[in-house]
Amino acid sequence: MTSVEVQNAYLKLGEFNLQDINLKVESEEFFVILGPSGAGKTVLLDLIAGFSYPKKGKVLLDGEDVTFLPIEKRRIGYMFQDFALFPNMSVFKNIKFGTRYYKIPNVENRIRELMELLDILQLRDRHPTTLSGGEKQRVALARSLILEPKLLLLDEPLSSLDARTKEVLRDEIKETIENVGITTLYVTHDQVEAIVLADRIGIMRDGRLLQIGSSDQIFNTPRDELIARFVGMENIFKGIVKANDDGLISIDVGDTIIEAVSDIAVGKEVTLGIRPENITLQVGETISSARNIFSGKVKQIIPLGPINKVKIDCGFILTAFITKRSSEFLRLSKGREIKALFKASNVYVIGDNH
Amino acid sequence: MFAWKYKTERTLIVFSIVSVLALILVIAPVANTLLSHSPQDLANTAIEPEVYNAIFLSLYAALFTSIAALVLGVPLAFILARKQFAGKSIVESLVDLPLVVPHTVAGIAVLLVWGRTGIFGAPINNIFGVQFYGTVAGIIVAMLFVSFPFMVNSAREGFEGISLDIEQAARTLGASPFEVFRRISLPLAFRGIMVGALLVWARAISEFGAVYIIAYYPMTAPILIANQYLQFGLKASSAIAALLLIITLMVFVLLRFLILKRKAEE
Repeated sequence: MTSVEVQNAYLKLGEFNLQDINLKVESEEFFVILGPSGAGKTVLLDLIAGFSYPKKGKVLLDGEDVTFLPIEKRRIGYMFQDFALFPNMSVFKNIKFGTRYYKIPNVENRIRELMELLDILQLRDRHPTTLSGGEKQRVALARSLILEPKLLLLDEPLSSLDARTKEVLRDEIKETIENVGITTLYVTHDQVEAIVLADRIGIMRDGRLLQIGSSDQIFNTPRDELIARFVGMENIFKGIVKANDDGLISIDVGDTIIEAVSDIAVGKEVTLGIRPENITLQVGETISSARNIFSGKVKQIIPLGPINKVKIDCGFILTAFITKRSSEFLRLSKGREIKALFKASNVYVIGDNH
Repeated sequence: MFAWKYKTERTLIVFSIVSVLALILVIAPVANTLLSHSPQDLANTAIEPEVYNAIFLSLYAALFTSIAALVLGVPLAFILARKQFAGKSIVESLVDLPLVVPHTVAGIAVLLVWGRTGIFGAPINNIFGVQFYGTVAGIIVAMLFVSFPFMVNSAREGFEGISLDIEQAARTLGASPFEVFRRISLPLAFRGIMVGALLVWARAISEFGAVYIIAYYPMTAPILIANQYLQFGLKASSAIAALLLIITLMVFVLLRFLILKRKAEE
């Protein structure tokens, strides 16, 4: 299969700038580009697909320079946000469209197999305008995959679907792509999609790729505060290291002292991040090995489906995720006295890649 | 509340009355022309060689004009719909220019370049022996000049209605730009293009001023009608007018049908 590499790419598109993009997606890897809207994710895909050319830099497919190769010579599949099915052709003709240009042995059989795999055989003679979002998605996927592309690009393919369909199709895309075994670059602003789908994630913002890594790396050790906030590290504090006891540091964050595991020298300024799911709540007498225990009052409870987001005022604000059931068990309500606990090892010192 | 409502309704009533009057102004002459002749009367007029020759000439000169407009207008419409380039607004103005030029002026202007000594007319006459003054070829270039904007603008709307993603998707599936045009853009813009061609045809049939300058003979139907009116008066010309009216109404109905169908699809 094929690897894809973007080297040192710059692109100006109106007011928008893509800057110094360096990225290598390995053969059969599922790579997700995660970023807020307007970050330049689609522009990067367009660059790889050949819809636009860089001002500087290169695009390589399996080491071969394709920077200025016409779109139709790249053999790259592209899934558009709105699926871009041809409204003047039936589902079958949509899927067959590209087989005129690429030699596919046994075309009719291959199409049937692929339609069976994606469960769209019954849609064969339907018109794209009569399909649901999920069906369109499957047809678009089949239309790309039939050509056995070297690389598949997906531009927020789930964003126009309802929540339920989204989940089903997300898993289906992952399964299909794993079955076929194809190098994939997937663009989204949805963290859950990124975690579920990605082998590796690249965080993009303002036309730059800020950090590349596994989802564990990205979500637990974000490179800077901006990324930390974007990936949901809701508790962020700035402070100064006051003591270092053999790798257990105490940081003065103004209102209190937080302990963390790090070997940063005393006197240094640091930014700390604690993920809300790493904070536990207790009522009454506390016996725990957690190094950080704070007493406070519940300030706000925001229900998020099966979990609640709880804000606790301990003189400073801590945000915790706890399950609905735990919420009921602790009889949480606004103003209730509570203790918030987290381990020193769950305190991430941002920018300190330990 | 009541007063407000009453006022609105009063406004609506006044507007409706004015609208009805306006519509009557349009309908009355058309209906009167059609109804003041019996079918027998029209048939008798239609079989006069002078009349059917003129109507036939109008129809087929307009048809060739439509074909020429298609060949010349569709590529231009596609470029205007899809590409940004320096001086695009100038090109757009040029396309619309014939809409504001008085038609007799258009006739003179066309004759000056297509006439025997014109920059187009002279070499074409030398090489192919084709003349434009007083010929069907001349009628067609005059018709084309005045009707070309309708082709370009209508086809352009057709192309603009196609999502760019669809064309790019076709490219990623291996189709060259020309293949994308042939298999995707052209079929999807087909109705817009057909509307343009029909508008050109209708406009070409009705053209008097420009054609009058470049070719009084052979006579197209509008020129024959004017000629009959000047020589023999209103009664002599009105039967031919009714015939031409019927033909143009049929084109018009077809056009409305295509436009409404396109709207329904959108």
